[in-house]
Amino acid sequence: MGVPLAGLLGILEAGRSIAAPMSVGGDWVLEVDPAACPSGIARLRQPALNIVQSGADALVTLNDGRAAQMPATIAGAVLTSTALRADIAGKPSQRILTGTLQLDGCAPLAFRATRQEPVRKSGD
Amino acid sequence: MPNLFQLVLQIAVILVAARVVGIVFQKIHQPQVMGEMVAGILLGPSLLGWVAPQLSAALFPPASLGYLSALSQVGLVLFMFLVGLALNPKDLDNSGHAAVLTSHVGIVAPFVLGSILALYLYPRLSDDSVTFTGFALFMGAAMSITAFPVLARILAERHLLRTRLGTMAITCAAVDDVTGWYILAYIVVLVRAGHAARPLWVTIGGSLVYIFAMLFGVRRWLPYFERYHQRRKRLSENVLAMLVLLVLASSLVTEWLGIHLLFGAFLMGTIMPKEAPFVRYLLHQFESLTIVLLLPMFFAFTGLRARIGVGGNSRIWLYTALVIVVAIAGKLGGSMVAARMAGTPWREAAAIGILMNTRGLMQLVILNIGLDIGVISPALFSIMVLMALVTTFMTTPLLEWVYPARLRAAQPDDLAEQDVA
Repeated sequence: MGVPLAGLLGILEAGRSIAAPMSVGGDWVLEVDPAACPSGIARLRQPALNIVQSGADALVTLNDGRAAQMPATIAGAVLTSTALRADIAGKPSQRILTGTLQLDGCAPLAFRATRQEPVRKSGD
Repeated sequence: MPNLFQLVLQIAVILVAARVVGIVFQKIHQPQVMGEMVAGILLGPSLLGWVAPQLSAALFPPASLGYLSALSQVGLVLFMFLVGLALNPKDLDNSGHAAVLTSHVGIVAPFVLGSILALYLYPRLSDDSVTFTGFALFMGAAMSITAFPVLARILAERHLLRTRLGTMAITCAAVDDVTGWYILAYIVVLVRAGHAARPLWVTIGGSLVYIFAMLFGVRRWLPYFERYHQRRKRLSENVLAMLVLLVLASSLVTEWLGIHLLFGAFLMGTIMPKEAPFVRYLLHQFESLTIVLLLPMFFAFTGLRARIGVGGNSRIWLYTALVIVVAIAGKLGGSMVAARMAGTPWREAAAIGILMNTRGLMQLVILNIGLDIGVISPALFSIMVLMALVTTFMTTPLLEWVYPARLRAAQPDDLAEQDVA
């Protein structure tokens, strides 16, 4: 049992230096300037963004009644999809997104988003 | 309030799908439960949501899934109680050196291989809200599990339950399950630490007090049920209700402690008296409702969360192949080599490895816990569900190939006279 246990501890130690993509999965509450795009913003229901994440790939759903889904990617601290680009900041439990969102019939809209609930994960 | 029409319609559709696909799988010599698991997957985005998205959205709208989830969790609580109930420590006492070695290696080898695989998958399928330690330990535990109930059913259907091979396989599976669930309890505590409702010392201290109370307090009182059954050959409805209440109370304690409600149900089952007629009676009382009605709902709920092959790219299929290869190498290979090292003939050792590789619905239970606590991502969940299906599906044909009926018939049924519960 000693050898496998030592091996397991070695694997866990080696894994501590591996970086995983920044977490963006969950429901996000959007803060935007309501005057910027009144018709588009009126359609949004909070939490306005839902993101399902697997590694560096994500699926963004806009809660605008149509629930259109957009594939997205996370590269470093940037989340990018067809209608959204956001910088990712903060610890996983206090993560925020700041960037621009493209709503139908509007110019790109600056937003700041906070995750609705602290992500229910941790580790060591 | 739930939309009752929709909920009842969902249950009806799930039951029909589970029965029909289950029967089809029986026709191809697979256990019924394998078909039920596949039926659950077919009702989700992997098939129904893909070929008929509007029908899928109308039948299983996301807002309605909470009720289905709640019902399936109740089913799992009862099911885990039954799994614990069917485990008999006396089987372990009679198992001998070969079974002990096989079961230990059968846990350690896939656990270590799963952790090594985590080094590759963590940056690709996880994120920084999960630490590598939690991710790797979960992967290890998920790789090491054996589906004790499915295995028992396969052995019974193949008339292997009372043979030397069957006894060894069921003993190893029992050891694997008990060990696997306690490892998983530790991982759940580890992963939930820091944001749980209770401090870590309450979880750990409370768990120790709870286990001590169950083993040295509640357990002493449980033979009352057995004596009642011995006297009357049945349990009254009030006594059965009392038993269910104990299961629920145990589940609530472990959920409150931050472990998971299924551990409480499992432990209550393991400490129940093991007199064969009493165990058979309880299994008979609970199995029909649990297996026919509630478990298919769990399979459907799992299927609705899995997106096998949907929106996937070639990388996902590569990860899937890797996970399946590592799972089989660790469990089948590890158990087979260990059994051979313990003196079991090659063919029988291979059969043990094949049987231990059956992951079945226990794997689905663990994966749902992993997804719930966020230690695995939706993509990895789907990959692992596919791995569970593949490893369970391959058991029967591989067993028939390696250990055909003519050899089974030739093996002395030296345990035939024993009462194997």
